[in-house]
Amino acid sequence: MNRKKGDKGFESPRPYKLTHQVVCINNINFQRKSVVGYVELTIFPTVANLNRIKLNSKQCRIYRVRVNDLEAAFIYNDPTLEVCHHESKQRNLNYFSNAYAAAVSAVDPDAGNGELCIKVPSELWKHVDELKVLKVHINFSLDQPKGGLHFVVPNMEGSMAERGAHVFSCGYQNSTRFWFPCVDSYSELCTWKLEYTVDAAMVAVSNGDLVETVYTHDMRKKTFHYMLTIPTAASNISLAIGPFEILVDPYMHEVTHFCLPQLLPLLKHTTSYLHEVFEFYEEILTCRYPYSCFKTVFIDEAYVEVAAYASMSIFSTNLLHSAMIIDETPLTRRCLAQALAQQFFGCFISRMSWSDEWVLKGISGYIYGLWMKKTFGVNEYRHWIKQELDQIVAYELKTGGVLLHPIFGGGKEKDNPASHLHFSIKHPHTLSWEYYTMFQCKAHLVMRLIENRISMEFMLQVFNKLLSLASTASSQKFQSHMWSQMLVSTSGFLKSISNVSGKDIQPLIKQWVDQSGVVKFYGSFAFNRKRNVLELEIKQDYTSPGTQKYVGPLKVTVQELDGSFNHTLQIEENSLKHDIPCHSKSRRNKKKKIPLMNGEEVDMDLSAMDADSPLLWIRIDPDMSVLRKVEFEQSDFMWQYQLRYERDVVAQEEAILALEKFPTPASRLALTDILEQEQCFYRVRMLACFCLAKIANSMVSTWTGPPAMKSLFTRMFCCKTCPNIVKTNNFMNFQSYFLQKTMPVAMALLRDVHNLCPKEVLMFILDLIKYNDNRKNKFSDNYYRAELIDALANSVTPAVSVNNEVRTLDNLNPDVRLILEEITRFLNMEKLLPSYRHTITVSCLKAIRVLQKNGHVPSDPALFKSYAEYGHFIDVRIAALEAVVDYTKVDRSYEELQWLLTMVQNDPVPYIRHKILDMLTKNPPFTKNMESPLCNEALVDQLWKLMNSGTSHDWRLRCGAVDLYFTLFGLSRPSCLPLPELGLVLNLKEKKAVLNPTIIPESVANNQEPVNSTNNHGQSVGFQNTEDDHLIKETASSISGHQQGVKRKADMPLGSPLEPGQILEKNEDSKVKLKIRFSNSQEEEEIDMDTVHDSQAFIYHHLNMLERPSTPGTSKEQSSGEMNMHPVSAAPLSVFSKESNSSKHSDHHHHHHHEHKKKKKKHKHKHKHKHKHDNKEKEKDPFAFSNSPASARSIRSPSLSD
Amino acid sequence: MRTAPYGSKMADTASGGSGTRSGSKHATTPADNYYLARRRTLQVVVSSLLTEAGFESAEKAAVETLTEMLQSYISEIGRSAKSYCEHTARTQPTLSDIVVTLVEMGFNVETLPAYAKRSQRMVITAPPVTNQPVTPKALTAGQNKPHPSHIPGHFPEFPDPHTYIKTPTYREPVSDYQVLREKAASQRRDVERALTRFMAKTGETQSLFKDDVSTFPLIAARPFTVPYLTALLPSELEMQQMEETDSSEQDDQTDTENLPLHMSTDDSGPEKENASVLQQNTSLSGSRNGEENVIDNPYLRPVKKPKIRRKK
Repeated sequence: MNRKKGDKGFESPRPYKLTHQVVCINNINFQRKSVVGYVELTIFPTVANLNRIKLNSKQCRIYRVRVNDLEAAFIYNDPTLEVCHHESKQRNLNYFSNAYAAAVSAVDPDAGNGELCIKVPSELWKHVDELKVLKVHINFSLDQPKGGLHFVVPNMEGSMAERGAHVFSCGYQNSTRFWFPCVDSYSELCTWKLEYTVDAAMVAVSNGDLVETVYTHDMRKKTFHYMLTIPTAASNISLAIGPFEILVDPYMHEVTHFCLPQLLPLLKHTTSYLHEVFEFYEEILTCRYPYSCFKTVFIDEAYVEVAAYASMSIFSTNLLHSAMIIDETPLTRRCLAQALAQQFFGCFISRMSWSDEWVLKGISGYIYGLWMKKTFGVNEYRHWIKQELDQIVAYELKTGGVLLHPIFGGGKEKDNPASHLHFSIKHPHTLSWEYYTMFQCKAHLVMRLIENRISMEFMLQVFNKLLSLASTASSQKFQSHMWSQMLVSTSGFLKSISNVSGKDIQPLIKQWVDQSGVVKFYGSFAFNRKRNVLELEIKQDYTSPGTQKYVGPLKVTVQELDGSFNHTLQIEENSLKHDIPCHSKSRRNKKKKIPLMNGEEVDMDLSAMDADSPLLWIRIDPDMSVLRKVEFEQSDFMWQYQLRYERDVVAQEEAILALEKFPTPASRLALTDILEQEQCFYRVRMLACFCLAKIANSMVSTWTGPPAMKSLFTRMFCCKTCPNIVKTNNFMNFQSYFLQKTMPVAMALLRDVHNLCPKEVLMFILDLIKYNDNRKNKFSDNYYRAELIDALANSVTPAVSVNNEVRTLDNLNPDVRLILEEITRFLNMEKLLPSYRHTITVSCLKAIRVLQKNGHVPSDPALFKSYAEYGHFIDVRIAALEAVVDYTKVDRSYEELQWLLTMVQNDPVPYIRHKILDMLTKNPPFTKNMESPLCNEALVDQLWKLMNSGTSHDWRLRCGAVDLYFTLFGLSRPSCLPLPELGLVLNLKEKKAVLNPTIIPESVANNQEPVNSTNNHGQSVGFQNTEDDHLIKETASSISGHQQGVKRKADMPLGSPLEPGQILEKNEDSKVKLKIRFSNSQEEEEIDMDTVHDSQAFIYHHLNMLERPSTPGTSKEQSSGEMNMHPVSAAPLSVFSKESNSSKHSDHHHHHHHEHKKKKKKHKHKHKHKHKHDNKEKEKDPFAFSNSPASARSIRSPSLSD
Repeated sequence: MRTAPYGSKMADTASGGSGTRSGSKHATTPADNYYLARRRTLQVVVSSLLTEAGFESAEKAAVETLTEMLQSYISEIGRSAKSYCEHTARTQPTLSDIVVTLVEMGFNVETLPAYAKRSQRMVITAPPVTNQPVTPKALTAGQNKPHPSHIPGHFPEFPDPHTYIKTPTYREPVSDYQVLREKAASQRRDVERALTRFMAKTGETQSLFKDDVSTFPLIAARPFTVPYLTALLPSELEMQQMEETDSSEQDDQTDTENLPLHMSTDDSGPEKENASVLQQNTSLSGSRNGEENVIDNPYLRPVKKPKIRRKK
């Protein structure tokens, strides 16, 4: 979105404006998992000759469409169902990503597109010309939806309500189109009337106010009537139906909580805190919660832990907990706070376009951060900021950058902002999930940077302004055209910032919002005694991927003997060195307290210092006001001072990490002191445990005394009289609880000179387990016990194996036997007395995998597979699946990989499907540069199919499949595919032979370009790389490639090297190029793809053949022709001269031709969704959903083509 | 002619008779001998009475039956008389008790003196004085304590010393913390292991080692129909524990609800405050029950009846 455009206000991409929508679901069948209902949209045309209305709808079977009670013809076409329509043998991810982005664009509501195209009946044209209101009534049904709406139906006896069956809407970004036809955009606001008729035992929870609940005539069902008078985007509409228990919040009666049967006590406890979050947000925003009510629903098999919708939030039921649970409590409260922040920014205030998403995510994340600061304290807040910063930095450096505000105004792909990524960032639906989470993380960090610049007060004023504008607008009638005030845009947001604060934050925005990448600083220093000056050198790395150059102020804090001093350096283009004058002369003899930054004065033992220098420690950018990674060099004693005396937890954590490199007794002492210090932030102490373990391992030969932390643990947690026995559990003090949990885990990482875990430590941990006694504790010890098992797992070292002997019980290491004994007992006890969230089972499974991996126990996935089955608690399943994924990698098991991929396709729980792909991506069985027996053509086909058509019901899943494909095969053609056997390929349509594009040398490829397209520089780079890759691979693996080729030939009974399939494949290759190039030029010239396709389809249909020369009037179609396998008279593909093998040629041609005819015929049937055919076509309907863009375009029913 | 009724009587009491007979046959203890001697005297009495009445001979069974009846009769008199005497708060029966008893049993007492002085009565020698059988004391442990001087002698004796004297055990009770903990731990461990082994033996198992299924048997994983319930709800044991700790540490209970606050804030200072605030809160929520009628939440409103169908 261009910013100037935003200034003028919001311009709808649609030729009409939606004002009101009715959604009525008459029937929900849990047994069949089906939904029947209708929607009615009230729209006002904004242009005179509106004859088509495009809406979004996926999966829905549409029975009938009426416009103002007149039957209307419609077409349902969803190109995202199958992205690459042809059986492309190219298998090139670059190609796929472009095609996918194009498909998503083709139905993108923000571009005025949609899957469902309704023709306004001609009788109404006059009516439309007067811009009078239209009512579009659509009857639809959903059968076994695979996305958007999730049914949970436990398989047991009893009525649906008794079984706890429920259904809820879910999805990633705008996914409402999956369950009812709508304008699925965050920018199209309207008021809503929602009606749900459900079983009398069920409750339907939805957005807005519940107006009334009415029984049906047979009294067996009831209808819930909801009204949402605040204009809301369809994407923020949600639904949850189930036999919920209802809890009215005791503090705020307009807030209602819902949970599944039997969980009411947990719900009471979990939500007892929510009102405080409400109060906090309302106070800082000085604004009432915008909706008249709020509902929280806790459901099983959640898509995400927290999903915020207008006036309601859907949570995972696994967030519920009792008062006995410590660890889950802060996590759940965070989720509640997050959901509530998004109510203000995200639901109430929506966004204008995808490129404004960062503002909403940023603000909601930022105010959530403020809540964290208030609730958990500054330490926790700073720790969190640091954590988020580290995460985003690591991600950007790994993948090459996250762009908050992508601008696609010009459409010039050559400055494609995300060329380093394997997916398009133009649409939320094409984003990798990990990228999206990082995007949110960066957004709130940037908001914090803005706050740093303009002060929190102004920041909150801006938010307040946005909210009050929106709430004024929301109470206005549609006619006042005020509703767009409820949409936030980047430009609008920046404008209010400058209005409120009067400050120019443009450089900041340019740096972090309009540009991707983070800053990487390397710092080092020298002290010039003569001049009493600190010479600081700060270098930047801005050439690596994901980095950018930083120019501007940078704060440096120097702690000297006389106090702490802040200096602001100007980081400029060429200046690396900065001289900072020191305030204090070195004087170490005078005993004097040393003032710290916070005004505190402390005594320090200065003996470790350099006698000549007054510097205690130096910190670069202590406030984290740059998104950066700092690698700073200072001596070990400085880090130690920093750890001991700097009061900022971030500094302490940095010091701990740095001390890992200094395994000295002094470091040991500093860390132990921190560990013991109760005033110290517990997370710092926990971190110190692990650092101490590492240091101890580095110092193993010189280490004196008992194993690290042992005596400390004994002193803190064991009985005074018998130090080998731990006290009975009392977790009243949470800081020490967390420490008690962590220390054994860290201790288990200790190793002796033989690189084994010391026997003493193992026995110590076993004793902790043995003497663990929770009877007197009022908190559950399940997390503690789980971590003790983790500790056992940490103590495991690789088995000494002689000649790869088979692992049996007889040669089991005695220590491992003890460990196994414990694990067996714990795992079995879990069956009888399950722990909260089965944390112990999870830890046991992980430990067993560790034992397998280290060769103590035979490696076998059977156990994990049984725990991964549907019906186990989700955490257990994930742990088990993680083990299977790991097994697949280590043992290179094709069978297990297949098993996982089958689960990705079939598992009932969307989160599991997503998670498997995610885990496979993070721990891949092989990667693109690796030889692996798993990497074969069938796998390529399978994954391709998965992302191409198998995951069309779930954006997140599809992107997950893309990620996996990228990890396994890279951007270019997978290396395991057989190399083309022919150097020359026939392009039959052009009657030309060309060099096989996959092996075209670089120079040739370059030569081609000007001929084909004039504007593809950005893309061509990618292609050269592709070809480079292939060249390399060709030489490197020619033997294997050949073998594979032979094998493949055997599979296909086509002996001839020139068999049609083979040729086709190559053709596809060339088409890939054309298509991509085409889409580039399309962007630039802003051709309406649909008109192109319409007319194209028309020609195709009527002229009825391939070889016809095109008419002069359709020159544009010519260039697009290739894409749809049309005869094309476009510029020749190749500079090579014609050469044809005539007989083969015609053979192939025939084949090709025939196929097309068949396809056409089929589609002709499928796509006539005209209601007249409705009854007749009902059985065929399911097919209709599996169309693809090209086919659909080509069979516009004649009545619709102009 | 005279024997006939006895024959029938005998049949009636046959079982009783045989019972006593078998009892007397095997009598060996001194107590039995004592009773036997008494009975024999009674038999003599019955026989002489029969003789007096003119019988020349009697079947043994008939005599036995009559003896039995007589014994019962006399026993009943004694029992009844004892009751009457106890009823009047005495321990020794008096003549009047006997008289009342006899009257009560339907016996004409007036006739008794005349009967006693009848001429043809036979006098039987008194039965040989046998020692009252000594009931062997079941458990005599130690000497009964003599009464102290201030207790009158008619008061019952002290009971056996073992019933009231603390018996010192030979070993000190285990109060050593270490041993206790050790014991508790190993006990629990043993129970757990036994239980899980049992469960594993009786149900399906999985094993980590293909060749050995018994050393580390794992109870097979079984999917649940509603997995979240077992995962989220505290087990009964935990609930029980929670109640126990609740009652003992009521003050502390409340601040669990504040829990994350404490993670960052330093320590006990604010803890108390929060606790009190929360106590207020909980009391607030407690009093909510009364207000509940006032709450106007759409989900609590009654479901409306369907409207009467409009034109259709």
